[in-house]
Parts: sequence; structure tokens; C-alpha cells
Amino acid sequence: MEGRKVAACFLLLLLVLPGLASAEELSLWPAERGFVDNSGTLVLGRELAETPLPEWHFSRRSDRRYRPGQAVWACPALAVVNGRPMAFVGGFDSTMHALDLMSKEEAWSKITNGPINSGAAIGEIGGRQVVYWGSTDRSVYSFFALEGSRLWTREIIEPTSSLGDVELSAPVLLGGVLYICCFAYDKAIARSDQKAELIALEAATGRELWRLRVGDGPLSTPVILEIGGRDVAIIAARKGLVQAFDLSTKPPHRMWDYQMPQEVLGYPAVDTTATPPSLFLGSKFGSMISLDAATGKERWKKMTGDWLDNSPAVGSVKGRRAVFGGSNDYCVYAWAADSGELLWRQPIGGEVFSIPTLFTLDGKPSVLVSSLDDHTYVLDADDGRVVTSFFTGELLWDLKTKGENVWGSAAVFQGRANTVAVFGSYNGTIFVIPLTGECSLTAKVRSSAGLWIGLAVAFVLFVFVILPVVLLLPGRKGGVEPE
Amino acid sequence: MNAIFDWISSFFASASANIKLVDKALAGLEGSYVELLTVLALGLLAIVPVIVPKKRRQFYRRLNQLFGIMIFIFVVYTCLGVFGLVRNFYHGLTEIGKENIIALYYCSVPATILVTSMIFGPFFCGWICPTGAIQEFVGMITAPWTRRRKLAGWPASKGVFASAVGVAAIFLLWMAYLSVTRIFFVEDATIYWSLVLVVLLLILAWKMRDWDDRLRRLRIFSFFVVAIGAVLSFRITSPVHFGFSKVYDPASVLSTVMVVFAALVIPNVWCRYLCPWREAIAWAARGSARSLATNRESCTHCGSCTAVCSVDAVKDGHINAHECHMCLKCVDTCPTNAIEMVEKWKAEK
Repeated sequence: MEGRKVAACFLLLLLVLPGLASAEELSLWPAERGFVDNSGTLVLGRELAETPLPEWHFSRRSDRRYRPGQAVWACPALAVVNGRPMAFVGGFDSTMHALDLMSKEEAWSKITNGPINSGAAIGEIGGRQVVYWGSTDRSVYSFFALEGSRLWTREIIEPTSSLGDVELSAPVLLGGVLYICCFAYDKAIARSDQKAELIALEAATGRELWRLRVGDGPLSTPVILEIGGRDVAIIAARKGLVQAFDLSTKPPHRMWDYQMPQEVLGYPAVDTTATPPSLFLGSKFGSMISLDAATGKERWKKMTGDWLDNSPAVGSVKGRRAVFGGSNDYCVYAWAADSGELLWRQPIGGEVFSIPTLFTLDGKPSVLVSSLDDHTYVLDADDGRVVTSFFTGELLWDLKTKGENVWGSAAVFQGRANTVAVFGSYNGTIFVIPLTGECSLTAKVRSSAGLWIGLAVAFVLFVFVILPVVLLLPGRKGGVEPE
Repeated sequence: MNAIFDWISSFFASASANIKLVDKALAGLEGSYVELLTVLALGLLAIVPVIVPKKRRQFYRRLNQLFGIMIFIFVVYTCLGVFGLVRNFYHGLTEIGKENIIALYYCSVPATILVTSMIFGPFFCGWICPTGAIQEFVGMITAPWTRRRKLAGWPASKGVFASAVGVAAIFLLWMAYLSVTRIFFVEDATIYWSLVLVVLLLILAWKMRDWDDRLRRLRIFSFFVVAIGAVLSFRITSPVHFGFSKVYDPASVLSTVMVVFAALVIPNVWCRYLCPWREAIAWAARGSARSLATNRESCTHCGSCTAVCSVDAVKDGHINAHECHMCLKCVDTCPTNAIEMVEKWKAEK
């Protein structure tokens, strides 16, 4: 009898253990930046944490031409699929690329009928990871992450002959439901129909569960979180109206709204460690505002010197919760999450357009931001000091204009020996940048000593080579005009 | 000292943040982002020297220079300063046949300048160039002193040497501040031009009388270094670039400050010895339809033309066309109207 029990237990363990192991390996990325704090970082498991990931510059020639106003590359979604770190990135080439970062190969790609301006979300159906994304072709796509086979696609806006561009936000997964915001307008004057909706789809089948009209202008990616036992969706409209909807009621009812002082170009980040959670959102003309996520009451408001082109992220500075934001005034800011006190402000070489990515590098909390000076910077999160920077290429188009582009931001795979940033640069290349060790993109930054050595070399070269040559060359007649 | 530099840095950072009148350059062709406004503005500035009345010409010239500065700072996006012009032009030329609209965008400003120089002479230098205009306006402060030295044949001077040492001290202090507060990239190589300018000032304090002409060949070196940099895709920024680009660029600010201080000691020092674009314009203007000529019979050798020329292109009625900026100060100052503007197309009739 005892022997049978032991054998049964052994068999049960045999059945359960692989399941447990695979459950451990299944990494999910339920929203555009991973989680509601917008940190944009996925921590690698113990085994992968020591495996170095190589530097990689991925680019594909595409027939699709970039137009300003699109994202060159949206934010990458990260996942460990079948034991391999992978990044899923869509962009102006209308294609979702699944990149195997270990073998430096494109695992699969799917072409849609329109540019992909928002990041993907990664969930799990039947023990397999699934990538979800929205395309400007009015459709939501879901494909299995490993092999790229289709789970379902759903056209969420009916086409009409006069339909204008459709804007789909990044999808967000919670409890088997996929939430996505959509804005479509009909160009026909007679209809003048401008609809902004929050749509809920069943993640497993793509079946539409409900849709809720939330405005008449472009919407941000929704933030879905649990507040007081209820699932709540928080959506910022481009015009600045922030609304929270209780998803536990049918239809979802509006809990609160808050009018931002100016337009909003990003979506909120949430500090879930606060009770009730705090919500942070930047505005077009530079206000960073903190709201009580449960009531929508303003907690604090701070100004930066110029536009906040993108969303903030929530992390920690010296053990204190902090919100990080990049401004067009060339500075990265860190404010205390509870009071809005400015913890530090770090100027870098150009307008900061990306969402700050928060991770740990060699045991130190770090921030990664990208700037219009064509560099991506790693800053020390504690004091804002620039640790290193990478040259990530020049724009595909001619002019840097504010507020008219959809900017992608980097995501980070955090390991021990192999922390890498995945960044779809506006030069058309997706870079996998090792943040530990050698990288060919490391900007040729001069150290203080190197700068003086360079000046000394220039001095010697000028005084002892160029100057004598200039002085000793035979004279020029000088083109004196005729008498 | 740090507090002063901090204040200067934050001033320039905030001043350059939102300075352009239009956030997007005026599109000449739909979706092309060709800077129509820039080309139109530069074209307008180029026409003024041709149509302006002789009476009060210098007043209109200074007005034109002021407008030039305003347009470059508040409107122009394409031009990144004298180095950027060379780089943009090269880049634009490489785009011809591939992306013609992009080629037009990058070539429009340098081509406008070169073509107007080929036809009307180097008016850009004397009437439009913001770097030259800033030096000229600054030089007015010390004009009585520099004019005396010029008439004396630029003798070695302790005063000039002390001034050069002062400029060098500012450069070194500012560099010390920047080296610990900023990250320097290859494109900040304009600091080397600042260094060369400082060294030049020290040399000129001692040997300007003998070496002035020969040192002007440095412009050729300057041009080739910038051109090679452009071919190698190095984005070297230049003095005054920060004012055009809407980006606070500490190296460019420093080099601008150096140019301004140096221009107090030697008039138009940047144009004389280091401006690569000045050299290109001088070559382009060699066969221009407009030029200056002196009627020797009328010339009384009074020296007034020598005294007013800020780049020493006129000496006792003899005009060095390669150095002339076509500011026409000599023409307007000459008491006997011995120097006049010759229009070749009219002369050939």
C-alpha cells in the first residue's frame, strides 16, 4: 500500500514538475511597457542571467516608406520563449518582428496592412505564450510567440469608403481579457463621426466582449490595475481628459475624470506601492501631475522647462519611490512619488523623447533614456549622473519636430552578466545593446583627462606642424585688382 | 566661478530651447520639409545689397546684418553654422539622384550662398553672415584702438598680448568647467578651433605685421578638415551653431564666446584666419559680375579706405579681391569716389 502511495506521488510529481517548470519559464509582458509602473524591464531567470546576449543591429529593407507622425519602431515587448530571450517589435514597415536575441535571428515576422505604432503585449493561452498587437489597419493580431502561428485576428473597426487613419493603442491583458483603445474618424463631412472607444476582447478567441465609447479624439494606451478589489481602466485622451472606468460593472461606469491643463502625449504610470495607488502623467507643455488613482484627486503638480513628449516611469531613488520623466528641455527629472519634491535633474545632449527605462546595472539602480541628440544614455538612478551613452543613429527623416511623432522607447532584459537594452532607433535599426561589457555603439565620450590630452595634441599639431607649413609655403599674389 | 558658468549654461540652455518662430519648417512641397522660408529669406537678404540706395548704404547693410542674425536664429533649421554648411552641402550632393527632395533640402542654403557669390560677389560675408556680423558689431566697441594699431601696421603690442592671455584664460577656465560637467563627443571638435583661435591671438600679438597674409591660408586647412570630417560623417559643430539649431551645445557656445572676445582684439578674426566658408565664397566669387575697382588717377592716398576695412582687404586703394567681403565701406568712405563698384555686364556693353 505504502509502495503504491509513493509510486502515485512520484507519478504526480512527474506530471506536475514539468508544468511548474514551464510555468516558471513563461515570462509575460501584459502591457506596452511590461507593467503599470512603465519600467520596461524584464528580469531574466537564474539560468539565463549568466548567459551573455550578443550585440545585434537588426534592420530589414522595406518597401514601406516612413512618414513623419508614425513610429519608426514601437516599444519592444520582451519575453523568454522556450528558454530563449526574445523581443517583439513592430514599426513603420507594418511588420511585427520576433527577434531571437540569443541566436541573432529573426524567428518570424508578420506583415500587417498598416504601420504598427504601439507596442505588443504578451500573454499566455493554454500554456503557450501569445503576442498581441494592434495595427493601424484596424485589426488586432494574436500570434503564438514561439513559432509565429496565428491564434486569431480581429478587425475592430468596420471599413467605410471615407474612413480616415485609425489609431490603435497598445493592448493590455488582464484576467484573460485584452483591452485596447481605438480612435477612428470618418472623413465624410456628412457623417463627421469621430469615435474613441475602449474595446474588450477575449484573449483566447478574440471575441468582442464589449466596447465603450470614451471620447471623440485619440486615446492613450489604457492602464488597467486593481484598486480596492476592482479592475479599473485609466485612459488619457490626447485632449487631456483622464478618465477611470470600473470594469467590474457592466457596462463599465466612469469612476472619475480629471482634465489635464494641456494636451497629453503619453499614458499614465502607476505607483502601486502607494495606498491608494498614485498615477503620474505628463502634459504637452511640461507639467508632471500626480493623481490619486482611486479618486482622481490631484496630489501634486510640477513643471519642467518644455514639453513632456512621452510617459513617465515609476521606480526608486535611494529607497524612496520616485517618478522619472524626460522633457524636451534636454533634462531627465526624478521627483519623489509622494510629494513631487525634485530629487535630481540631469541635462543631457538633446530633447528627451523616450519613456525612462528602469533597471539594475551592476547592483545599481539605473535609468535608460533616449535623446534627440542621437544618443541613448544610461544614468545612475540615485543621482542622475551619466554612466555611459550609446550612439543610436540619426533620424530617417529630415527634421526633428516636437509633438508630431510617435516615439519608441527601449526595453531592458536584466540579467547579471548580460543586461541588454533592446531599442528600435529612429534610424530604422533595432539595436540590442549590451549594457555590461563591450559595445560598438558606446559613444566616443571623452573623459576629463582625455579632453585635455586631445587639446594638448591639437596644440602641438597646430604649433609644430600646421603653422610652420602655412608660414613656409610660398606666398599668394592675393588677387589685387588691376590699376 | 562654477556658479557663473552654471548660470551662463542654464541661460543658453533655456534661451535656445524654444527659440524658433515655427516649430516645423515651412514646407515648400507637400511632405518634403524643404525650407522654403529659409531660401526665400536668404534670397531677400541677397537682393538687398543689390537694390539698396548708395545714400546711407552702410545703415542698410547693418540693418541687413541684423535681419540676417534674426533669421538664422529664429527661422533657419537647415544651416548648422559655417561647418554645417559644408557638411550639409556634401550630404545633399550625395543624395542627388537618390532622394532629390532631400538633396534640395540640404543643398538649398549653401547653393544659394555660392550662386549669389558667383554672380554678385561675396556679399554674403559682408551683408548677411551672422558670424561675421556679430564680430563686426562687437568690434565696434574696440574700433578706435584697433584702427590705431592697423594704421601703425599692427605692431607687436603688450596690450594685445595681455588681451590674448585674458582670452586664453577664459578658454581654459571654461574648458575646466565643461570637462567636469559635460560629456564631450567627437562633434564637439569645435573646441579645437577655439584653441587654435586662442593660440593665433597670442601669435598675432607678436607677429601680425609680418604673418597676417600667410596666416590667412589657415582657412584652407580649416576648410579641408571640415570637408574631410563631412565625408567621414563627423558632425563637427561650429561657432554660433547653437543659435541656429535650437539645441544647447556647450562646445559651440564656448567657441562663439571665443570668437566674440577675439574679435574685440583683432577685427573679424574668425573671417580672416579660420572660416572655411569664407575661403569657399572667395573662390566662388572670383569671376563674379560685380567687383570693386580703384581709379588710380582719382586716388589721393588718404588712407581712409585702409582705415575702415575690417579685414584689411584694402591697402591704400589696392583691393585684394580674395579677402574682400563686399561690405562697400571703402566705396562709401572714399572722399574722391576713387573706389567704385564695377558691374561687368554693364562694362561689356
